[in-house]
Amino acid sequence: MHSRIGFDVGGTFTDFVLHDAATREIRCFKLPSTPHDPSEAIGAGLSQILAPAEIGAGGIEPSRIGRIGHGTTVATNLVIERKGARTGLLTTRGFRDVLEIGRQTRPHLYDATVRRPPPLVSRANRIEIDERVLADGTVLIPLDRAGVERAARRLAAAGVEAVAVCFLHSYRFPGHEREARDILRTILPDAYVSLSSDVLPEFREFERLSTTVLNAAVGPRMGGYLDRFLAAVRRLGIAAEPHTVHSNGGLMSAAAVRELPVRTCLSGPAAGVVGSAEIGRAAGFPDLITFDVGGTSTDVSLVADGRPLFTSERLIAGYPVKTPMVDIHVIGAGGGSIAALDEGGALKVGPRSAGAVPGPAAYGRGGSEPTITDANIALGRLDPAALLGGQLAVDADAARDALRRRVAVPLGLPLEEAAHGIIRIANATMSRAIRSISTERGHDARRFALFAYGGAGPLHAGELAQDCGIRTVLVPQEPGTLCARGILLSDVSMDFVRSVMELTDPAGWPGIAAGFAALRRDAALWLGREGIAPAERRYRHTIDARFQGQNFEIPVPIDDPEATGPDPFLARFRTIHRQTHGYDIAGRAVEIVNLRVQAIGPVERIAWTPPPAAGSPGDALKAHRRVYFGGGDGWLDVPVFDRAGLPAGTRIDEPCVVEEMSSTTLVLPRQSLGIDPAGNLVITLA
Amino acid sequence: MPPAALATAPVADPIAADPIAMEIFSNRLLAIVDEMGHTLIRSSFSTNIKERKDCSVAMFDAAGRLIAQASHVPLHLGSLTGSVRAVLASRTPEAMEPGDAFICNDSYLAGGTHAPDISIVTPVFVDGRVAFFAANCGHHSDVGGSVPGSTSHTARSVFEEGIRLPVLRILRGGELDTDLLEMIAHNTRDFEERILDLKVQIATNQRGGALMADLVARMGHAEVTRAIDDLLAYTARRLRRRIVETGDNQGSFTTYLDDDGYGGDPVPVRATVTLRGDRLSVDFTGSGPQSRGSFNMPRNALEASVYYAVKAMLDPDLMPNQGMVEAITIHAPEGTIVNPRFPGAVGSRANTAQRVAGAVIGAFCRFLPVERRVASGNDVMSTVVFSGPANRGGRTFVYVETIGGGAGAQWDGDGTDGVHVHVTNTSNLPAEALEKEYPLLVEEYALVTDSGGAGEFRGGMGIARQIRSLDDRIVCHARLDGARRGAAGIESAKPGGRSRVVLDKGRPQETQAASKIVNLALAAGRSIRVETPGAGGFGPPERRPPARIAGDLAEGKVTRAAAEADYGAAAVAAAASLVAASLVAASLVAASLVEGTPR
Repeated sequence: MHSRIGFDVGGTFTDFVLHDAATREIRCFKLPSTPHDPSEAIGAGLSQILAPAEIGAGGIEPSRIGRIGHGTTVATNLVIERKGARTGLLTTRGFRDVLEIGRQTRPHLYDATVRRPPPLVSRANRIEIDERVLADGTVLIPLDRAGVERAARRLAAAGVEAVAVCFLHSYRFPGHEREARDILRTILPDAYVSLSSDVLPEFREFERLSTTVLNAAVGPRMGGYLDRFLAAVRRLGIAAEPHTVHSNGGLMSAAAVRELPVRTCLSGPAAGVVGSAEIGRAAGFPDLITFDVGGTSTDVSLVADGRPLFTSERLIAGYPVKTPMVDIHVIGAGGGSIAALDEGGALKVGPRSAGAVPGPAAYGRGGSEPTITDANIALGRLDPAALLGGQLAVDADAARDALRRRVAVPLGLPLEEAAHGIIRIANATMSRAIRSISTERGHDARRFALFAYGGAGPLHAGELAQDCGIRTVLVPQEPGTLCARGILLSDVSMDFVRSVMELTDPAGWPGIAAGFAALRRDAALWLGREGIAPAERRYRHTIDARFQGQNFEIPVPIDDPEATGPDPFLARFRTIHRQTHGYDIAGRAVEIVNLRVQAIGPVERIAWTPPPAAGSPGDALKAHRRVYFGGGDGWLDVPVFDRAGLPAGTRIDEPCVVEEMSSTTLVLPRQSLGIDPAGNLVITLA
Repeated sequence: MPPAALATAPVADPIAADPIAMEIFSNRLLAIVDEMGHTLIRSSFSTNIKERKDCSVAMFDAAGRLIAQASHVPLHLGSLTGSVRAVLASRTPEAMEPGDAFICNDSYLAGGTHAPDISIVTPVFVDGRVAFFAANCGHHSDVGGSVPGSTSHTARSVFEEGIRLPVLRILRGGELDTDLLEMIAHNTRDFEERILDLKVQIATNQRGGALMADLVARMGHAEVTRAIDDLLAYTARRLRRRIVETGDNQGSFTTYLDDDGYGGDPVPVRATVTLRGDRLSVDFTGSGPQSRGSFNMPRNALEASVYYAVKAMLDPDLMPNQGMVEAITIHAPEGTIVNPRFPGAVGSRANTAQRVAGAVIGAFCRFLPVERRVASGNDVMSTVVFSGPANRGGRTFVYVETIGGGAGAQWDGDGTDGVHVHVTNTSNLPAEALEKEYPLLVEEYALVTDSGGAGEFRGGMGIARQIRSLDDRIVCHARLDGARRGAAGIESAKPGGRSRVVLDKGRPQETQAASKIVNLALAAGRSIRVETPGAGGFGPPERRPPARIAGDLAEGKVTRAAAEADYGAAAVAAAASLVAASLVAASLVAASLVEGTPR
């Protein structure tokens, strides 16, 4: 077995996880990110792994690296910072302004100063072409090839580096888009071209257009980044083909990322969810709510029966993106969220954040407003000295002072009650997010375990679980680097979709089966290109369906489309509809909207370094510390443990704190802590 | 005011009994109404609700006080509040049972704002007593009456505007009154869609009620009651502080409807906003007489429009609940377009609602500091309705669409092009969804050149939507106001472009039609094009930077001729040289300008 490296490039840190096949050891560490060129931090991290002499640890030969996978925010950042390539658009005559009008809605109902993000292609570079296809895929007006040539020359003169092509109803008839592409290639041979029928062959023109334009706009720079990244990897002598995690949590090759960079916009977070699902399943908890608290935001998602839930649409910097992705709900509350009283006397936590600069008051970088992190420090929950193994200088008095001046005194509350109020409000915001991914989708949160990670997730998880009626909290090892670890637990995978729009009946079923067969052929070709041997290939089939006349489809997993007839499918659809919407309609026709095949090339799982097999918790005791728990418990003097020393099978039935390099876990009164054989913390609520 | 200033403002007023519990409760409450809204939109059947999201949900307490509204359509607050009041007026809570739900829509009998907005109100029981009301309303694309879509500007009374529902018990002890449901549904042009959507509306409230009961079980009824009182008091206090900070002031603004549905003179809508101490009053004296057509505005719609405008101008993040209304007094003389007498038709009240919001905002701009002023937006409710045979299933479809226009320019940037303003924020129907379901073809969906009012900052542009019929049985209406005068500019800027309707554009028989048309038969091959109004500009046109003029020219948003008329030949020549120097450079200028606008 070869060694593997996973790393996740975040805004502040790039996290690395190495699995050394020879020693079966795992090493993880964080380096500051290099936003101007993320491949710098990557190169530095890989050198640390490969060139051990400088840091004095046992090294790994580059040739022994069998797999290397990474999570990246490059595509997302290009959009957020509007640094995409200069892009042109070809679209159907009469529709160039769809990109700008969108769905004609405004982002804030009442606040006119909140404006829509500007279109990613300026109006001068959005060119209309004479052509028209009808809803059934028939051609009303043939493509004006000369018009495409003229448009291509105009865009060439305007110096565009990328062109998006989006014609109406191309999900039904992609011919015109392909013809246009061929013409563009002759006149703009170097331009990056994206067709909407390739990027998103689904109906609803604005969302398809927006996704295609984003793909085109990030394409050239993403290609440049991949070149530098691959060069860095090769320079270090690593021969393995580097993979990238995409938004559905699967891995794909650099060549696939070049074609569909828009699919990486949720790269790192998706890997975190996939890793959670994998670790949870191994630990006997297939049903999870994942809970990742970072510096400025919190991500929550739901894993049912060992599989993450997926969604197809979200906004990136205000632009709709429709691709298959792990359904992650992001809220603007994280460690850096600021707590403040508004003029009506309400205590608000977030969405303003102190970010990395000025940061929490305790970090002494100029922050004067109290944050969630300051509240955790003031309550004794977070030890200033333990943050990142002591690498961060922290001033607890500054945290208390900010809390006192800005919150406690104006509210007439003792400091600790004010700080605890901030935590409770933050938890209420987080529990609202949990409700929206669980009960809003027909899942009872109380049946799920809370899987906490990110730097601050394990600090909040105990109270949050209480709020949501959740009975178990699971904390993996080194929760602060879980996304990088998730990359080592991801499979090679890609989604294939085909719009159908047919009513379900026995006569039409062979057509459905044939549709799946065609998708599976595409999927097999792709897996072949990714180097997955035929015997290893796996396929998952899903039908997006709805009652005739509805607008929103429900994904219905089916086992084998040839063997499954329409009846088992219909029964399953009705069950899922009842679960998500609370009712079903007897006798109403069911419409099949999309067929989906997920192609999977399984990757062998690795286990984390197990906890000590023997010993007692006393060996791991670092200190005792006063921690505020609120309610009837107030301040309690509790033990603080070093996680690495806690042996498997440990059970602690008292409130305590568990510290490690990347995170801190808080166990509340009336909760008990156990260590499972894999080294996960398992907190059980009474 | 920037958020940072808000956050650090000193707190002088008494604070809530328990501000922490209040904030936690408020989050839980919002989670409940969010989930209700999600259920309603995701599981409904009519394009109007599922795709255009023309619906709203809210939660009230037992006394009928609004405690939370999900943010969908501000105007719906009127129907929601009115229908809960009507339910409470119709019977005592003691006369209600668990498993009951009520239906109503009429503006004179049941607090409605026009017949297509049907409300469902469901009492929520805690310990055997009514503790809350879950409510939602959806705009049904047809409820019968003289024309498809049920809202004709020529309707003379509510009797022409479809089925009138006083408060009726449609669910009794959990048992659906199918006789009543069928009776209602068969008085509309698409009974199947009505039945399905009404069932979804009922299920939506049941879900909200269950979540509310669960919340009470977890928090305790006493704590929930205290948190509600805190929340409403907090909202009221926050708005009163804003009023006090703004200072004693008075301003008036008059805007005009083109006509009252039967031609004649423009109809004024005049608002006078007065701030005294911590009170705010809005007086509509000076507004035009009751409309002969259907532009009349029921009381609840008027209130919702005023609350919208106050919130937008004084505190956009104020929570929409009963606390918001305490400090506000509204006076509207009876027998005017903003306070009609029975049985005046009300179907097109949304257009008047836009004018009311525009007038109140205009009045505020007389005294608010310059950075909070905004030019008039398109301020109308441009509506098109098509009816005919659906592509599948052999039924009759009714497709209603309201089309956005320009948003007013502000002191630091151009107004948004092609967007919904004020009391509505419904989505468009994608051309690909529309063509799949109806025998119609969208020929164009675009911004209207030269429709943004000139100024230092340009008003937003109107939208053109051109639709061709593919079936001889298609009938359509169009209702566009703002054809006579454009949206007012502010601070010496020019008005926005006017609306117009064109039939058979680009074909030999092309004609400009009246801007309000009803029951037009549109044979296969014929088309109707509507162009909605742009918005007013901000600041004197001569102060518009040449780079912005160049950007508009390069992007084709403004023609050279119009630019010369508005900004002067010299300024345009300077700008044009920028464009001529390099089209690339100009488009870059345009792009960088756009990038600079959001804050």
